Amino acid sequence: MRPAAGLTSARSKLGPHALRLPCSDRCFSVLNRPPPNYEGHIPLTRAERLGLALGSGLMSFLDPRRGDLIAAFGEATAQPYFINHLRDRMLLNPTGRRILRDRPRLTSTSLDIPRLRLLPKNTVGYAYTEWLDREGVSPDTRAQVRYIDDEECAYVMQRYRECHDFYHALVGLPVFREGEVALKAFEFANTGLPMTGLAVFSALTLKKGEWRRFWDIYGPWAARNGAQSDDVINVYWEEELETDVDQLRTRLGIEKPPDLRDMRRAAREARKKEKAAREAAAGAAV
Amino acid sequence: MPPRIPCRAHRAACPTPAVRYGIRLQRRLASTSASAPDIYDVVCVGGGPAGLSLLAGLKASPITNGLKVALIEGQDLQKNRLPKDASLDSFSNRCSSLTPASMRNLQEIGAWRHANAARIQPYQEMQVWDGVSDARISFDWDTARSLGPRTPTQPTTIAYMIENVNTVSALLGRLEELGGVDIFASTKVDAIELGTDTEQLDLSSWPVLSLSNGKSLAARLLVGADGANSPVRTFAGIPSRGFDYSRHGVVATLNLSSPGWGGPDHKIAYQRFLPSGPIAMLPMPGNFATLVWSTTPERAAKLKSLSPADFTAMVNAGFRLSPTDLEYLHTLPSGQAEEIAWREKHTPTNERGLPVRVTDVQGGSVASFPLRMRHADTYTGERVALVGDAAHTIHPLAGQGLNQGQGDAAALVRTISHAVQSGQDIGSTLALESYNEARYAENNAMLGVCDKLHRLYSVESGPVVGLRSLGLRAVNAMGPLKGFFMSRAAGGV
Repeated sequence: MRPAAGLTSARSKLGPHALRLPCSDRCFSVLNRPPPNYEGHIPLTRAERLGLALGSGLMSFLDPRRGDLIAAFGEATAQPYFINHLRDRMLLNPTGRRILRDRPRLTSTSLDIPRLRLLPKNTVGYAYTEWLDREGVSPDTRAQVRYIDDEECAYVMQRYRECHDFYHALVGLPVFREGEVALKAFEFANTGLPMTGLAVFSALTLKKGEWRRFWDIYGPWAARNGAQSDDVINVYWEEELETDVDQLRTRLGIEKPPDLRDMRRAAREARKKEKAAREAAAGAAV
Repeated sequence: MPPRIPCRAHRAACPTPAVRYGIRLQRRLASTSASAPDIYDVVCVGGGPAGLSLLAGLKASPITNGLKVALIEGQDLQKNRLPKDASLDSFSNRCSSLTPASMRNLQEIGAWRHANAARIQPYQEMQVWDGVSDARISFDWDTARSLGPRTPTQPTTIAYMIENVNTVSALLGRLEELGGVDIFASTKVDAIELGTDTEQLDLSSWPVLSLSNGKSLAARLLVGADGANSPVRTFAGIPSRGFDYSRHGVVATLNLSSPGWGGPDHKIAYQRFLPSGPIAMLPMPGNFATLVWSTTPERAAKLKSLSPADFTAMVNAGFRLSPTDLEYLHTLPSGQAEEIAWREKHTPTNERGLPVRVTDVQGGSVASFPLRMRHADTYTGERVALVGDAAHTIHPLAGQGLNQGQGDAAALVRTISHAVQSGQDIGSTLALESYNEARYAENNAMLGVCDKLHRLYSVESGPVVGLRSLGLRAVNAMGPLKGFFMSRAAGGV
């Protein structure tokens, strides 16, 4: 703190005009970190932000199961433009505005998961719990936003992150790499957050068969639906739990992609059958 | 009689009218005839600030005060005058920013002292910023230092906010004091035609005006100060080119919570460039200000339909909230005040850089007018000159419209007095040429600058926003360059 304080007093001697320089560029350094804008906020300098983006990006590319790194990468790359743009899209939509006003948080307690399990099978709530159970995840596993400077944009990031599981439920894509990549492509086309777009590059690490499916089926589906459908960030999920999934999808303008699990199973069986046939042929030849 | 150069075929074919003295004589002889028109040296159609300033200028000058002049105005001039005991608790919504050059001109013709000084508000600072990027420029004569040290004679006032009705009343007061102008108020011009060649005198190149009161006037020089749809310009066959901005200017008189950040002695004007158009708040005396919000016709209609509380909140929001929020707020049928109260909590602002809060809007003061860009091909024709809006219409973003009209009037007075001094016919195209020369290029440049600024700031996103912000900050940092722009806007100090 000392050097910064000395700088301020030296500057005040220069007269009132010197003080007009934007303070944000001058006094914000590792030595003089401004107070957090909201609980849990960690203000970063530009260099720190760049380092965080590069480090977390590289590490999460190498190990896509590190949700914390993906989260940090998402926050480091969303500023200054993209998250504001997403917030503006919410501000232009009555429901999006209501979400920003109420600031609801999605947790297992706020959602009352056991009640959702009792809902009719065609509802969003049921599809969501079914998806949670099938994938073995919980809405409480979402990290707290820390690196977004504006507190409202930080909420937008938090909301996006918490709703991510609902997007899975909405389109029925699983959490393993192939499904995640397809969903990230959809999210990129829909939200414009750079992290989701960069995550699509992990498609390069897919196996050959998965890559072909992504290229032929899921990629085009994601691009088409993400760009054409309404903003999924503006869905007030808490109010849609009892809505029919197909109705909601139609309302948003999203086509349901082919079931990835079924397709993988079919592909696996086909491979097995082929192998068995080959073995049988080989056996017959012997 | 000075040598005359026949400029046009029809003029060459017929003999030119006799010198002025001769015509005076003719008029006296013909005055009993019902069909013969009254003959005037200058007939000005339109009693707005430009026309009145011209007549006051002519009458105030010892060279031109002998001219026989007439004013024709469709409205009742007395009714539109500011009452002597006008209360300082209400102001007209039609105000203008008079530049120091216009003010000096009004002083020179002796009209300034007839103005109600308590209702004029000089301002010393101007804050202009980009509604998208928040890049800001501040205009005051202290930061716009020229290279040398500041001289005590350097002005501190950027401009004077004055109600148009105050300007008009001051000019009418001066005209009454000077006398000698035949004023035909509440009188319309029914027709303007060229006169006829009779035995007594040849008026075939003279415009003859038939008035709604049955009189007819022949003008040696007909001045069109009759607004954007000028009948005089139509008579002269001068085309006026331009386009509509598809924007409306919403005006209103605002009550503020205090005289402003600089107190009553250092008033500040504010203008924020939004993608839909600039919103400007200009200081009036006391806790008052006048609003000019250029916006789309749909939004202007919406603003006009709002309750006073919502309108007040929208004006505060116009200087504070993001263009995105403003876009949404214009879609709400009502309840803007409540919505804005919530949004302001989440919009970080530096209140010291913004106008103080508007607390109320003066009842019935919210109005709007369409914004246009028009420029006549020329300001002069055979025995015709155009001044003010008849010659040009400008975007109000730099507050130059009325000042251009004042500049025109002053230049035309100079041209006429030069012609009188050198014995020329004041209506001849040759004599009028110097008026066109003095004003056309200058007005054209100002029209162009305002038009380009409008276009530049209509862009909502992308690299243009970054570049214009960089440019604005650069000009803000360069004192002498800023000083140059300020002196241009002040009318060349």
